[in-house]
Amino acid sequence: MSGIAQKKIEQIAQMWNERGNGLITHMALEIEEVSTQGVQVRMPFNPEFCVDREQTLLHGGILTALLDSVFGLANFVAIEGVSTMATLDLRVDYLRPARSRADVIVRAHCFRKTRHIAFDSGSIWFDGHENAEIARGVASFALTRGDSSLFDALEKGDPS
Amino acid sequence: MINLQAVNANVSRVPFFRFLNFEVQSVDSCHAETEMTFVERHIGNPVMDYYHGGIIASFMEATAAIAVHPDFADVPAKPINLTVDYLRPGVKGSLYARANVTRKGKRMASVSVTTWQTDREKTVAEGLYHFLLV
Repeated sequence: MSGIAQKKIEQIAQMWNERGNGLITHMALEIEEVSTQGVQVRMPFNPEFCVDREQTLLHGGILTALLDSVFGLANFVAIEGVSTMATLDLRVDYLRPARSRADVIVRAHCFRKTRHIAFDSGSIWFDGHENAEIARGVASFALTRGDSSLFDALEKGDPS
Repeated sequence: MINLQAVNANVSRVPFFRFLNFEVQSVDSCHAETEMTFVERHIGNPVMDYYHGGIIASFMEATAAIAVHPDFADVPAKPINLTVDYLRPGVKGSLYARANVTRKGKRMASVSVTTWQTDREKTVAEGLYHFLLV
């Protein structure tokens, strides 16, 4: 774990886990590993995210949402001095039907960062089946540099 | 002629479509138009109350799948992959999508989707989705 303060990681993890509302809270994401090399996050099974009546088949969209979220986390961890970021584009391949009631694991990392743009990739599998990826995605992000991050704004409850 | 009420009845049976909170407004053999009503669980940026990019992509995927298979009986059309271009933030309020099936063969379909809010000219995101039909 190089080039990133443990304190920053803890702050990010804490804020991530305590975001009051919105999709990330609804997905009940749990951070498992965080480093500048990448992040690993667990999403517990949730029947609301399924498409079938038996509720065993996840909708692709939730996997896309999961990748987008975790890319954001990977960027905050890998890049110093990011205040906000916006997804520019996102590409996702659905490699197999996402049929399971197991937790979903996603691993993502920022593989290239410039002053204005970050490039990320990630993959998703069901817990215990790392060799059977269900989705893989890549995305690019437009970065806004600044001293105060989204996390700081949340901490202060100040939208500026 | 596709029965809009029947399509919405199918939509309401899909747990994730209920989660997205949208309704089909019009549908024919190669188009679908939908409206998603904003709810708190759609938020991606809690400071600005913007839609989560993944919710926008999911909503476009759902609309694309309906355009491909409006009369799906059980599960919606099977997605292969997608590309999304995010052009503007989606702000609090309704989001509209229009899916256009650009090609539907025996095995595959290609669908382009665009989304907007109050002004149809101001695209929030556009996407290209592929579906497996076999």
